[in-house]
Amino acid sequence: MQHNQVLGGSEGEAQALKPLKQDMESMPTNNSGKQKWRKVAYGGIQPGYDDNYTDESFLEGMVMNANVVKRDFLKVMLDSVSISQYLCVASLVVVIWIQTLHSVIGETSLLCLDAGLLAMGFSIILLTASQLSLQLFLHYLLKISFFISGLYILAPVYHTLTRSISSDTIWALSVSLLLIHLFLHDYSGSAIRPPGAHNHPTLSNSISLNASIVASVLIASRLPSRLHVFAVLLFSLQVFLFAPLVVFSIKRYSFRAHLWFSFMLMFMALSIVYALRPVLFVILLVLLVFVSVICPYWLIRIQEYKFEINGPWDEAKLCFDITE
Amino acid sequence: MDELKRHRILMVSDFFYPNFGGVESHIYCLSQCLIQLGHKVVVMTHAYGNRSGVRYMTGGLKVYYIPWRPFFMQNTLPTLYGTLPIIRTILIRERISVVHGHQAFSTLCHEALMHARTMGYKSVFTDHSLYGFADVGSIHMNKVLQFTLADIDQAICVSHTSKENTVLRSGIAPEMVFVIPNAVDTAMFTPAPKRLSYDEIVIVVISRLVYRKGADLLVEVIPEVCRLHPNVRFVIGGDGLKRVRLEEMREKHSLQDRVEMLGAVPHARVRSVLVSGHIFLNSSLTEAFCIAILEAASCGLLTVSTRVGGVPEVLPDDMIVLAEPTPADMVHAITKAILLLPNVNPFAMHDRMKGLYSWHDVAKRTEVVYDRALLCSGGSLLQRLPRYLNCGAWAGKLFCLVMIINFLLWQLLQLLQPSKSIEEVPDFLMLENQDKEI
Repeated sequence: MQHNQVLGGSEGEAQALKPLKQDMESMPTNNSGKQKWRKVAYGGIQPGYDDNYTDESFLEGMVMNANVVKRDFLKVMLDSVSISQYLCVASLVVVIWIQTLHSVIGETSLLCLDAGLLAMGFSIILLTASQLSLQLFLHYLLKISFFISGLYILAPVYHTLTRSISSDTIWALSVSLLLIHLFLHDYSGSAIRPPGAHNHPTLSNSISLNASIVASVLIASRLPSRLHVFAVLLFSLQVFLFAPLVVFSIKRYSFRAHLWFSFMLMFMALSIVYALRPVLFVILLVLLVFVSVICPYWLIRIQEYKFEINGPWDEAKLCFDITE
Repeated sequence: MDELKRHRILMVSDFFYPNFGGVESHIYCLSQCLIQLGHKVVVMTHAYGNRSGVRYMTGGLKVYYIPWRPFFMQNTLPTLYGTLPIIRTILIRERISVVHGHQAFSTLCHEALMHARTMGYKSVFTDHSLYGFADVGSIHMNKVLQFTLADIDQAICVSHTSKENTVLRSGIAPEMVFVIPNAVDTAMFTPAPKRLSYDEIVIVVISRLVYRKGADLLVEVIPEVCRLHPNVRFVIGGDGLKRVRLEEMREKHSLQDRVEMLGAVPHARVRSVLVSGHIFLNSSLTEAFCIAILEAASCGLLTVSTRVGGVPEVLPDDMIVLAEPTPADMVHAITKAILLLPNVNPFAMHDRMKGLYSWHDVAKRTEVVYDRALLCSGGSLLQRLPRYLNCGAWAGKLFCLVMIINFLLWQLLQLLQPSKSIEEVPDFLMLENQDKEI
């Protein structure tokens, strides 16, 4: 045994064997006299068993689909109402844009619409807030007035900002940006916190919001006057920035109210779109049916393919919060 | 040794000296012991800084540092076919018979095994770590592993838990996976010559201070242990992102005189840090096999560890105190270890470790795996393609395409640079000379 020097493992190998023998003797044996295989890594190769020996305890610790929630069709359908509702909101915004561009809606009625929406949003937030306070109201009012005056000052800039871009590009960009916005929008409202709480916007949320704002700015350059620009921008920003907050407030206040509100919005959107162009109405209707009936059914169907594996190899989860 | 039984092994991994860690020392120690058993071993890794080209290490271990730069976490850029020419040249020059790849996230290892299979060499793969199944990174890595293992001759895992994990991830037959643990160089890790007094109990932690090694757990555990046991002191070796949090904890609880932070400890100094303590604390959240525990046990320290991954298999129950990875249970386990401490004889523990783990034993068991690999039938490309096709509806076809292109590239290389034109390296034995020197 002359080749032990480099790593020097062998000095006193005889002594080392003694404790090893103790380890071996402590092994349980079965009736045939052969030592029972143990799931251990120490003590070298286990006598009588190859290293690729696999006994019945193999994968004993594996747990399958431990955290899978059984989904209920009705529950998924009701959850999908949030998506349909937001689709309707977005389509209403597009209708307003188109009507303004065709000069069907004038700047005065647009401004009235803005004021009405603002008042409605305010009252909903204040009514559904857990504690009604004047301080909160003033806080909101101050912020909104800053926002509106800022937008008014910047309206001439937005009016000319993208004017040099050709109209075709503007339409194509606006449509794709809106699609991005709808695709990445946070429908669950998980990123919306009541005022004061910590807000952790995710990347997709920010992209979604920015896409919608850029789309409105692009549209603004095709409008006839500065006042139009201000009115349309205020309208779209109100919807894209604050509608999720309002919807979330309603939902938190009462789910029934949320459902009624959504159905009302859907009805409104469908009738307005129908008046505008029947083809768009059909598309919107198909989309709503797809989102609220077909997709939930699809989700329930593919649940059976869910395959989740847990076992002793998983990284341990810390049971306390580490963000300090 | 009989020329027929003599293997000519190429060890491939992105991780090798001068980098330091479990995989690196595994490859080094295994290679040394295989050389002593009379096999020829060549190591291939990527270039580390200026270290590019061929180097020789102890015992005539030849190392090819191929001129590819690492781009992310010491990994070479995955190019699929970029490394084919140089790997083919090395395989022919060194007349390799078995290619042995290490570590699932080494791109060089995956590429080398792919080329080796294309050229009909026997291939063996060792998996050193555990993976989950849920996140995008794991899903991708598991698919890559499935590709590599689809046509492997034999696979090795370092613990039984790791074997279960590998079998699930890659879908290969459990009979093809051998469990050969790591070992420890007991001659390097000896206990302190004089037994330490038990007036003050020193708990040693040596690990990278990162999330996966449970640094956050330490932040919770240390103040509580210090409060319960006024005679306990901590020595923490290692560096990492979470070091700041540990230092904050030390300030917050005014433990500056009881918690010593050493920063990164070079491997050569690990023993001197270990022997200054009574208890070794391992707080990892995931671990396929923990070499640090072996080193501590070899130095005669009682180990307290989280019960994660392969850790429960590593030591007999009377040499380790296991705890669930929660602060309360860890504190409880440390208290239990402190009570057990007077019964622990470091020298007896060291002697026991000599019997339980040795790299020579690992090498002999790995030799058996190589013998089995040589018995496996190779088959032509057409016989091997179905194995890839079974990997999945889309992935299977993609894998087949990758293999076919690799085969064509290999045929092209055979035309451009015939095997005969590549000079073979003469073998020489270092063993006799080296023994005389010692």
